Amino acid sequence: MSRIEVLSPADDGRAVHIQNLLKSAGHSAKVRVVDVYTSKSSQLSTPAFTEAVTNPVTQTLNAKLENFDWALEIGFLPGVTDNVGHTATELLTLAGDNDNTPCYSSRLYLIESKADKAAIENLADQLANKLIQRIHIKDAAAFANDGGMDVIFPEVTLAHEGAAVDTVNLNISDEALMEISQKGILGRGPLGLPLIYMKAIQAHYKELGRNPTDIELETLAQTWSEHCKHTIFASPIDEVKDGLYKHYIKRATKEIREARGEHDICVSVFSDNAGGIIFDDNHLITDKVETHNSPSALDPFGGAITGIVGVNRDCLGFGQGAKPVMNRYGYCLADPRTSPKLYRDKAKTNPILSPETIMNGVIAGVEAGGNCSGIPTPQGFAYFDERYVGKPLVYVGTIGLIPREINGKPGHEKCAKAGDKIIMVGGRVGRDGIHGATFSSVALDEGSPATAVQIGDPITQKKFSDAIIKEIRETGLYNAITDNGAGGLASSVGEMAEQSGGFHLELEKVPLKYPGMAPWEIWISESQERMTLAVPPENCDQIIEMFARRGSEATVIGTYTDNGKALITYNDETVMDMEMAFLHDGNPETPLETTFTRGDEAEPDLAEPLPSCHPEHGEGSQINTTDSSAAPQNDNWTYSEALLTMMGRLNICSKEFIATQYDHNVQGSACLGPLQGKGRVYAETTINRPLLTSPKGVVMSQGITARYSDIDTYHMATAALDTSVRNAVAAGVDFDQLALLDNFCWCSSDEPERLGQLKRAVKAIYDLAVLYGTPFISGKDSMFNDFKGYDENGNEVKISAPPTLLVSSIGVIPHVDRSISLAPKAIGDLVYLIGETKDELGASEYYNQLGVTGQNVPETNGEQNRFMYKLYGRAAKNKLIASALPVNLGGLGVTLAKKAIAGQLGLDIDLGNLGDMRADKLLFSESQGRILVTVAPENKKEFERTFKKFEHVYHIGHVMHPQKLNIKNLLQLDIDKLDEAYKAPLRDY
Amino acid sequence: MTAKALVLTGYGLNSEEETLHAFKTVGLDGHLRHINDLIDNPAELKDVQILAIPGGFSYGDDTGSGNAFAQKIKLALMDHIKEFVARDTLTIGICNGCQVLVNLGLAPAFDGKYGERTVTATYNLSDRYQCRWVDLKSNNANKSPWLQGARQLHIPVAHGEGRFMMSDKTLSRLQANNQIALTYVHPDGSPANGEFPVNPNGSTADIAGITDESGRVLALMPHPERGMFTWQRDDYDYLKDAAQREKLQLPERADGLVLFENAAEYFGIKKSEKAA
Repeated sequence: MSRIEVLSPADDGRAVHIQNLLKSAGHSAKVRVVDVYTSKSSQLSTPAFTEAVTNPVTQTLNAKLENFDWALEIGFLPGVTDNVGHTATELLTLAGDNDNTPCYSSRLYLIESKADKAAIENLADQLANKLIQRIHIKDAAAFANDGGMDVIFPEVTLAHEGAAVDTVNLNISDEALMEISQKGILGRGPLGLPLIYMKAIQAHYKELGRNPTDIELETLAQTWSEHCKHTIFASPIDEVKDGLYKHYIKRATKEIREARGEHDICVSVFSDNAGGIIFDDNHLITDKVETHNSPSALDPFGGAITGIVGVNRDCLGFGQGAKPVMNRYGYCLADPRTSPKLYRDKAKTNPILSPETIMNGVIAGVEAGGNCSGIPTPQGFAYFDERYVGKPLVYVGTIGLIPREINGKPGHEKCAKAGDKIIMVGGRVGRDGIHGATFSSVALDEGSPATAVQIGDPITQKKFSDAIIKEIRETGLYNAITDNGAGGLASSVGEMAEQSGGFHLELEKVPLKYPGMAPWEIWISESQERMTLAVPPENCDQIIEMFARRGSEATVIGTYTDNGKALITYNDETVMDMEMAFLHDGNPETPLETTFTRGDEAEPDLAEPLPSCHPEHGEGSQINTTDSSAAPQNDNWTYSEALLTMMGRLNICSKEFIATQYDHNVQGSACLGPLQGKGRVYAETTINRPLLTSPKGVVMSQGITARYSDIDTYHMATAALDTSVRNAVAAGVDFDQLALLDNFCWCSSDEPERLGQLKRAVKAIYDLAVLYGTPFISGKDSMFNDFKGYDENGNEVKISAPPTLLVSSIGVIPHVDRSISLAPKAIGDLVYLIGETKDELGASEYYNQLGVTGQNVPETNGEQNRFMYKLYGRAAKNKLIASALPVNLGGLGVTLAKKAIAGQLGLDIDLGNLGDMRADKLLFSESQGRILVTVAPENKKEFERTFKKFEHVYHIGHVMHPQKLNIKNLLQLDIDKLDEAYKAPLRDY
Repeated sequence: MTAKALVLTGYGLNSEEETLHAFKTVGLDGHLRHINDLIDNPAELKDVQILAIPGGFSYGDDTGSGNAFAQKIKLALMDHIKEFVARDTLTIGICNGCQVLVNLGLAPAFDGKYGERTVTATYNLSDRYQCRWVDLKSNNANKSPWLQGARQLHIPVAHGEGRFMMSDKTLSRLQANNQIALTYVHPDGSPANGEFPVNPNGSTADIAGITDESGRVLALMPHPERGMFTWQRDDYDYLKDAAQREKLQLPERADGLVLFENAAEYFGIKKSEKAA
């Protein structure tokens, strides 16, 4: 027998979930789940195996399957990572299979329902992604007739034959060069190089008097890709000859560090896989935030899990190896309640994934990756705009902890030495992820390669991660370590070899998932869960043995050299022989030019909502809580309706369903979690204690205000930075203990106007970071977040994500007892608004609700904020603040409501002394630099004295007993009602 | 001589460090041991008094949570483990460790039949991973050394497969023997009666933890080691604020530590400070 089936009980949680999916599509059904294992191993039917995959308490092995109308089976396509199958293969080995015979997993759903085949196919589309999975549907008759489902072994059969390498003739026209760039060598997939690069390669090889091999050309495409080289940030741009990265971002950090002198908190910036700042006398904290956008558009689950597990490796690859102690996430998505009809191809056979599928998939991917890896994932966000429909943004970050000294050497330093062996540890190499780096550097279209999609395998990684961090690192057996991310070995070996001055890789030694791969494929494959180490030859046996004892495979695959050569052989035949200098610095400069036009929509003249605290304007019953129907409201809408509507907007409402799926308590480090207060409000800032033995806390937050780009990217960028900083400051961290990370996700970065927007945004964060003295320690960019395809009429469309900057903040708080949560704690406490409210609703949530953009985008007053944050730090240190919530998207009105919900306590508020602005503008303006706090009456004097020299501190009310939000002359709302409006929209996802 | 705790690691278990920290906090000796090393040297079990299988994702929960890891133990260590529990020792399985213990049949192990599988902790009824704080009631009639004096506990759960399921017969027997150690309750102590999220996973009879007949083997889904200090609690901000207003010192220890204190006391170490 080569297939066994494990039947779960009828009320299995997974079955109930499928029933609910069918139910919401209008079909009543009874569903049972069957886990299927397929293998040619003779151990498959032995109890030693079956007992490990069957739980006899509830499950039945190889039961007669009957009483259903439809059988739906979903398995993986050949070569796709099958984690369950992987574990089952290990279990076969434990059961006595000595040949490592593969086992494949699939899942069979038995559905008893009157639903027709189309309905079952719809369900299958919801459950499976055809890019990576196979779907088989049989009705009961066919099932009986065939004697069950088909036995399928999704084996990879490759037959690479002929020469190890092909030589690519570059003595061709420019058009022919570009054809190779776009379609790849012999149509193998895009190289994605601009003509100027192709010509530089052509000229170089002309000089050498030969043509490049395929592997050489692939390596250059990889190394020079936008994804790896960040050419747009490096190139001269207008008058900025040293490029945006050096001129603004790197320089900001340099100037800040110099100004701080001995109070500098930075230890390692921009030079490693993550940035590092001081945690205490003995440890550093590292941080890195990545994006994984393009893969997530095609396979949201695979893209997101690969992203989170990949950024964990950036942490493991920092210095001599940092221990991952926290994850964070961020998703930019389209409204999951909409289903736009968009296609990748003109014939409309290849639709984009629905926003709901993408949202559920990316959330599940980080859940699986983060939870399985035992790393808490406390902090993150979900931000919605319809322009993320074709290309969602998926941000993933990992914070690490590393001793400042390891084996007498600084923990953050490493260096591969000539003579060191190249050791690869972790997963084997397959065809998955080929051209990932080159593909993510171009816009998504019909030709995007399916091989770029991968699925992460967190347990394979967890095994070597534990081995490195908990055992091997302290032995000093290796000289350097880095991760295999985009570009695979080509990237990791290439980068490490810059330290030693060259390398010789013996490709035939690389362990493969299956035979038959061509050398160039092995070299650039992005198969996940691998690290590369530089190990002195005398230590190799010991290190390989240590990994083996922890269930990880480590293999010597070559040698680091100092002869300036990037040399690859395959069974002793030279397949690549390049100068390191050309490989890393041979790409010609590509000067960029920009233009900039500010968003020109005028400020709108909108009707003010009616006060609703008078009986004649009672609370309306028709509350509009969908963003998509944004339109001017009827003339009679009231302040109550306005606020309730705002609370239900996707960028404001609760994302509790994400927080509860992510293990934020593992490692026992959670202190201030993602859901705060009795009313469980979704927080933008969290605090963890990464060391159980130290009271110090790490504060994390993020800021994102992408829609402000519709008016001016300068103010978008400063608002994102200010939000990120202010969120952290509000939670109690000292302003001067903060560091920042920048992640630019831009669009159409080959257009001067988009580049002009970029240049303004980069300059903006230079200006504000230097003013605040908050250094950047790491960053990443993704420049082509565009979707190119067709609408339902077959017309070409291009949808560009709004220029989006995510600024992440990280800081160290000396004792977690200084932390400040967002929930009001006690009746009678005083409510203060700190910061100035101006007529700044341009591109705000309120204007968006009303279908307008306007002109008055919030402008960040850095000088004023800096002063305020310093005073706030003093108040926090003296524990004068009982609760604090920064005023972010949705403005003061939304912030007041969130506070009331969090505390489940009433607020009595009077906006009278905030100025003479119209009340709806006071309530919904998104002016930056504001924090709403509550203060115990006994601290009133000292609190006010602390802020004496700051003119924008307003006592606007107090915490009261009745469970209402009462805003004088405007509205009076029960907290229950606000709570429902805030929690309902995404509750059922 | 101080009693020693051995905390298992490997293949995706991930809560070993905080679990070991809990044992050390209450004055016990302890160390981590990778499962492969224990398989190579099972005699080590003779030198320890406490065995802890911590939380995590052994084998990624593939083939059912705790199944694969249990199989690894069963094929290589089962006799040694049976010997261990037959001695006057304590065993605890937390979360993934709980799933491993029930799959190994170390709990409930009716009639002392260690190895017979009668209970499972399987997919949450919500089909969603749940990370949240819960309230647990300790069964006074259960004589487990782990639970002495623990009336109600506020600690977190974090699992995708924590729903205890069993036959009606097994349930009756668990109830009759008082082997149900912990159940999910409302904050006021009244039973959850299956209500989500008070009962976070749809567990039969609101069961959160069970013991063997002796009470020395405890298998529980919630995480006491993540709720052993006040600063770890989800209401830490409230407790801290209240203490500041009343000018009181905030106690350092929280509910979860009670289990570990009990373990220490069982082996003769006095409690230094009562938990909050």
